[in-house]
Parts: sequence; structure tokens; C-alpha cells
Amino acid sequence: MSNSHLFLKSGFPRAPLQNGLGRYVCQLQRITLKFCKNNGSSRGMRDFIENHLLDFAKENPGIVVYVKPRRHRTPVLVGEYLNGEREWMSCRNSTQEEISKWIDLLKTQNGSSSSLRLRKMWHTEVPSIQGPWTPFLLRSPDAQGQAYPSVEASKPLETPQTATEKLIELFRQQQLEASEEAHDVLNKKRAE
Amino acid sequence: MSIAKRVQQWATFARTWHIYDCTWQNPFESAKLVKSHLMGLQKPIYHPMNDCGDHVVLINTREIALPGDEWVKRVYFHHTGYPGGASWTLAWQLHEKDPTMVMKKAVYNSMRGNLQRRHTMQRLHLFADDQVPEEILQNVTNQIRTPRSIPQRLDHIDKETLENFPNIMDYPKDYILR
Repeated sequence: MSNSHLFLKSGFPRAPLQNGLGRYVCQLQRITLKFCKNNGSSRGMRDFIENHLLDFAKENPGIVVYVKPRRHRTPVLVGEYLNGEREWMSCRNSTQEEISKWIDLLKTQNGSSSSLRLRKMWHTEVPSIQGPWTPFLLRSPDAQGQAYPSVEASKPLETPQTATEKLIELFRQQQLEASEEAHDVLNKKRAE
Repeated sequence: MSIAKRVQQWATFARTWHIYDCTWQNPFESAKLVKSHLMGLQKPIYHPMNDCGDHVVLINTREIALPGDEWVKRVYFHHTGYPGGASWTLAWQLHEKDPTMVMKKAVYNSMRGNLQRRHTMQRLHLFADDQVPEEILQNVTNQIRTPRSIPQRLDHIDKETLENFPNIMDYPKDYILR
């Protein structure tokens, strides 16, 4: 996303009021074709109006079609949607096939699709099979009913053995060995 | 949204209260830990645009341990905005004035300076000692483990343990203990 897109609307692709489930309401309400009668850049538009526009209007009685000739200006397509959006599209030097494809696009979308940045490139009805994460997930059972602050819960989990602890361990071992030796001596004497 | 889904939403975005004992801890090391809990960085649902930070209660901030000679070398700068309004306070002087300030500034400085930082700081509760109000303590459901273990002080060990402690060697009789 660059600076020129700071004010671009963002959202998720969606159909208004579950459009297309059971019934379909065409979201394009009005379409205006602006063109010039003389200029070469409007030639494709003039061809389209001559050959296909009447068929288009008959096939789509829900769409109001305006045709607006104007001198020496670029041909333009303007679609107005049910959600109030208005989409302006330049058709300079387009052929009639291109124009009929663009009109077909305007007819089938539910708003200006190019003025919406998609927040995500994917969609799922089942975000997680395990269920969404919560902070209470996988908590230790010891945490239940524990009083805070506690000294035990504050201690670091892994601490290396200190020199003092090592010395005490050696001392204990030494004492054990000494007692075992004494035990052995006693046993020997008893055997004698 | 159905009732079950609404409750699921509440559970996922529930704010947890953590408590952290600052005794003998390096404030700058602890600040990284506290920051991640304040911003909710440890959660799998974390996103910068997602308000999922937790509350952290810091206790015993009076007992923090600065590394090396930081108490005398670390300087906190403040400017009133008027000419000649600059002031430099040593860490030990600041700690004497307000025992929570060094810890608070450590957490504040560990975060990036953006619009969210001051709101995140509102979720930090600092206490100089372990006297925490009951209404704050009853929210706490987790304790953050400290990075360093607390050493035991010689004058806090009971006399019996001290006498039975194994000696490496005995002092000679004419040795003067100071």
C-alpha cells in the first residue's frame, strides 16, 4: 500500500443482503454512456450504441440507460449502484467488444470493485476447527485458585546449578560414602 | 452474532491481569518481558491493529537492581520548556524521589514511540512495595516468571542452617575475623 492509496477504502468481498441466494437483485441501477459524434476516440462507443445498446436495454429492464452525446470529449461510462456508489470509466479508443465487456462487468458487480482494497486475499467460513484461541487455553491446573503474588510462581523455570549447590551436593555425597564405609567395617567385624 | 459466538469473542479478547515481582530484577531486562505482555505480543491473535494487550501489575519496584554502576552513571533528562529549564537527574536520585519511576521509564522506553504507547502505558500499574489494593489484586490471574532468581541474603538465613552449613576449611585460632 503506497501513499496514493491512503484514503482507499478497505474491506472484505461481500454480497449485500445475501444477494444471489434464492433471488438476485441487479446492483447496477443506472448507466450513462457519454460520447462524441465526430471524434475518432468515440468510434468504438458509437459502434456499440449502434449495434448492441438496444439489445442490452431490452435484456436488462432493471437498468436505466442514458446516452449523452457531447462534442469533442472522451467517451465515458458511468455506472450508479444500489449502494449509492458511482463508478466513472474512460473508454477512450476502446473497441465495441471491449466496451461490451466493461459494461458486463459493471452489470455484475455490486459496487466499484477497483476502489476497494481487499483486506485479505482469502475467505473461510470455518476459521478454526479447534475453535478460536482464548487466554484460558492450555493453562496449568496449578494456576487454579492460586493466591498472587506467590514466590513459587515468580521463580524462573530453568536455573543452572550454582557453585554453592554443587559444593553442598559433593558434601552430601562424601558423607554418604563415609557412612557406607563405616557400615562395611561394622559388617566385616560382625562376620568375624 | 449468536450468543455462543458472542461469548467466544469475549473469551478470546478477555484482558488478563499479570503480576510481576521486580525484586532484584534488572529493569531493562524486565521491561522487554513486561512490554510483550502489555502489548499482547505473546498471544497468537496478536496484530498491531488488534487491541489485545493485558494489564500488568509491577510490585516491589523499590527493590530493583540496576546492572554495574548504572545507579550513578544513568542520567534522566527533563526539560520544562522554558529557557534554562533543562535538568539532569541521576538514577539513584530519581529512585529516591519516586521508587516506581525508573521501572516506568524503562517500560515506556522499551516501546516504540507511536500513538498507542501512552494508551498501553495506562494498563501498567506500579507499586513501590508489595502493598497492592485489594480491587487490583483480585483481578490478577497470572504471575510472570522473572528472568533471574533472587539470591538469598546472609542475614535472612536462619541461625540453625547457618551453623550446620558445611565449611570448606576451619579458620586458624589466631585468625582475626573482621
